[in-house]
Amino acid sequence: MTAGTSPLDPSPPAHPLPARLGQPPPAPQVQPPLVQLRGITKTFPGVIACRAVDLEVGRGEIHALLGENGAGKSTLMNILTGIYQPDAGEIHIDGVRRHFAAPKDAMAAGIGMVHQHFKLVASFTVAENIHLGWEHTPARIRARDLAARTRRLADSLGLAVRPDARIDELSTGEQQRVEILRVLARRARVLILDEPTAVLSPSDAQELFKTLKAFVAHGNAVILISHKLDEVLKVADRISVLRGGRRVATEKALDSSASGLARLMVGHDLVSGANLRGAARVNGAGLATHPVAAAHAVPVLELRDIVVIDSTGRTRLDRVSLKLHGGEILGIAGVTGNGQKELSQVVSGMLPVSAGAVMLGGKDFSRRSARDFAAFGLGHIPEDRLQSGLAAALSVIDNSALREYARPPISRKGWYRPAKARVLAQSIAVAAAVSVADFAMPVANLSGGNQQRIVARREMRIATRVLVAAYPSRGLDVGAIETMMRYFVQLRDDGVGVILISEELDELRNIADRIAVMCQGAIMGVLDPATASIADFGLALAGQRHGATAPLEAPAPQRPRD
Amino acid sequence: MTYRLQRFPTPLATSAFAARTLAVVLALLTAGAALALTGSSPLSLAREVVTDTFGSAFALEDLALLVSPLILTGLSVSVALRIGAWNIGAEGQFNAGSLAAAGIGLFVPGPPFVILSLMLAAGIGGGVLWMAAPALARAYAGVSEIITTLLLNFVAGLLVYWLATGPWLAPGGRAIGTTARIVVDIPELWDEVHWGLPAAILLCVTLSALLRFTRWGYEIRVCGSNPQAARYAGMPVRRHLITVMLLSGGIAGVAGMVEVAGTVHHLQGGISNNFGYLGIMVAVLARRSTLGVLASALFMAVLLNSGIILSTRGVDVSVVLAVTGLVLLYTAIGDEIAHYRIVRGAALSARAAEAAPKEYPPNELAE
Repeated sequence: MTAGTSPLDPSPPAHPLPARLGQPPPAPQVQPPLVQLRGITKTFPGVIACRAVDLEVGRGEIHALLGENGAGKSTLMNILTGIYQPDAGEIHIDGVRRHFAAPKDAMAAGIGMVHQHFKLVASFTVAENIHLGWEHTPARIRARDLAARTRRLADSLGLAVRPDARIDELSTGEQQRVEILRVLARRARVLILDEPTAVLSPSDAQELFKTLKAFVAHGNAVILISHKLDEVLKVADRISVLRGGRRVATEKALDSSASGLARLMVGHDLVSGANLRGAARVNGAGLATHPVAAAHAVPVLELRDIVVIDSTGRTRLDRVSLKLHGGEILGIAGVTGNGQKELSQVVSGMLPVSAGAVMLGGKDFSRRSARDFAAFGLGHIPEDRLQSGLAAALSVIDNSALREYARPPISRKGWYRPAKARVLAQSIAVAAAVSVADFAMPVANLSGGNQQRIVARREMRIATRVLVAAYPSRGLDVGAIETMMRYFVQLRDDGVGVILISEELDELRNIADRIAVMCQGAIMGVLDPATASIADFGLALAGQRHGATAPLEAPAPQRPRD
Repeated sequence: MTYRLQRFPTPLATSAFAARTLAVVLALLTAGAALALTGSSPLSLAREVVTDTFGSAFALEDLALLVSPLILTGLSVSVALRIGAWNIGAEGQFNAGSLAAAGIGLFVPGPPFVILSLMLAAGIGGGVLWMAAPALARAYAGVSEIITTLLLNFVAGLLVYWLATGPWLAPGGRAIGTTARIVVDIPELWDEVHWGLPAAILLCVTLSALLRFTRWGYEIRVCGSNPQAARYAGMPVRRHLITVMLLSGGIAGVAGMVEVAGTVHHLQGGISNNFGYLGIMVAVLARRSTLGVLASALFMAVLLNSGIILSTRGVDVSVVLAVTGLVLLYTAIGDEIAHYRIVRGAALSARAAEAAPKEYPPNELAE
């Protein structure tokens, strides 16, 4: 078998496909949308990832999918690409209902996805990667011919790649181009990209957008998963926002603004009726009317001009200064990935700062270990509980003791006493309202929600002065969230300073005394939830410093470069 | 009503035990079938093996002499596993330990007790030294200890060979490539069986207790299970990694010292007798249990002993190697199968729902 087979001479770069799908060509007058999702619902144990999501993507359209982590974007796209099967709902391609039992079915229908983490074999060449696992790859072929096929494909699709280069010699931008070429070579008409620019330099990103525009110009479609507001506004035709598994809005990019989208993503809820937050809001009114504690002379925690630069040289925290007093809840709002994770790690002593000082109770803790932070009376509910809050293979007992194993009664004179640790584990489980069948079983056997409750209670026990809670409500149901928020309020009333990092603006506005808004590693401002308007939050979330008067859509000059 | 197979993150204790027992039985049956095909009678051979292994004091002594180095090398590998390191180099550390101990025994004069203590220290030191480079490379540069420890095995083995046949060769021109007899012995307990065996058992029990009942042991277990959680709790992860890896090397070194001072009384090429590699099997068979090393070392010793007996009956020794390999293979399969249980009906049981987090969508919820 030689070159000249079907995939090599598509009338480039258009993808004249309907005939291949074995359906009558759609009526010329009213074309059904290329992709139509109807009422897609998908649940995982304890989590509703997608709730009755409708989505339409037309020919020639770049459709952006915005949402926080956990909003359901990836699950929805995994359903469209056949990786998951929906519990309910229908997928229509060209107006015809389809079932995708496996990714190859979706691929055959012209739907291809470029994942955030490339699925390339690093030690293979570009040509080999393009042809890997492809039915059109000849059974026997010489390397030179394989490269030539790849070059023809690349030329026909307008994507410049070096067929002979090994993947690990390529830059991330080039690797992404290979991924795209691999999908397009398999005659995709719908290209799904998951956070494509997260790994790209700005010029590579421009190049990518040009490619995408050219691709859709031939009647194809692109679905772009992102949480970068500015790029979505620039490149997309329409934008759908997902939150908590629901589609909360679909707007034309021309009619949208960054602040409006940020608000949609983070919490101002347009969906009325069965609102997840409804119950919390009613009760929250009572919670928030807390007389702000008389400011103690010394803040219990203070950040002074904290800068964190990661190993790749990117600035993760940009001159962050914050004060936390005992007896207050300081909310941290922001679109995920704007430095919240680094902030929580810095204030709990897990991440060394590049510059600036972390003060606890007026003392400099910048060079101290996480253990010293805990000994000071700081509890930390980490956002990735299984990765850093728990040792999955160890028992519930051992995990419950993680914070108190070094102090009596669990430890005495260097001994570790499992019997005492069991007592502690039992009391944590009772307080967390988690029923544990066997405390000696690995903590990995607990559900995600129960793990979260155990970690939260464990941390609240040691949080005598500060509690840092990063996304504590993730994976919990409404009742459990409500209970946890009440505990936070109780801690605050007992004089503990609480830092609550959340992606739910409503949640923060209900409970926090002050809310700091982060964007691109910097604090845009600290707002008073009682007086600040939704619009104020929207501006800050979109990267506009609170109090500044520059027009919203102009590139904010104070943004750190990256 | 439908039945289906479901995987659980942790096996039930009973099914894990059953799977292991079944693995051993199957391995023996397979070997028996192979023997039957070559014309031997597996049943009569088995009877002979059992009577010859357990039927006489002499045979039991042989068994005891095999068990102690296996306990120690198994313990060495097992301890390293607890901190999440694969010590493939117990063989090399064994050689280094025996070499250092023999050096003291051969060339340092003094009262027996002092010399024995010095030999023990040298044995530990040799093992620790042999582990030092892999431990530091892993802790500071992330170099895989599997490769480094393995490669150092050959260095140590050849070094012992060279010394025993060259510079340290017994004077008097004997043809056998060994050093002179080391005068100092580990005191004997019961005929040939020396104090190395109770010492090895005691060390194993003590270390198990330390890992379970001390703060240090708790930290080791957390560091080995999830270094990031250990860092979160403020534990000195790197320091623990280094000390436990060195400890592992030291234990293997002790095994070498005990072999030289208690059993062989010379330094000779091949003194390690593959005990280091067998220690990996011992540790793997013991799963995550340090105390379980005792049982699996005994099992391995019986297997080795049977090999010796079988060879006197004209059966190739490689049969025994095949059996050990089969045991490991079946155990690996059995361990995986033990994770599965038959679940009735379409609805998820409570236990199954608990187990489900593994199936969370990778992109959204894990981050």
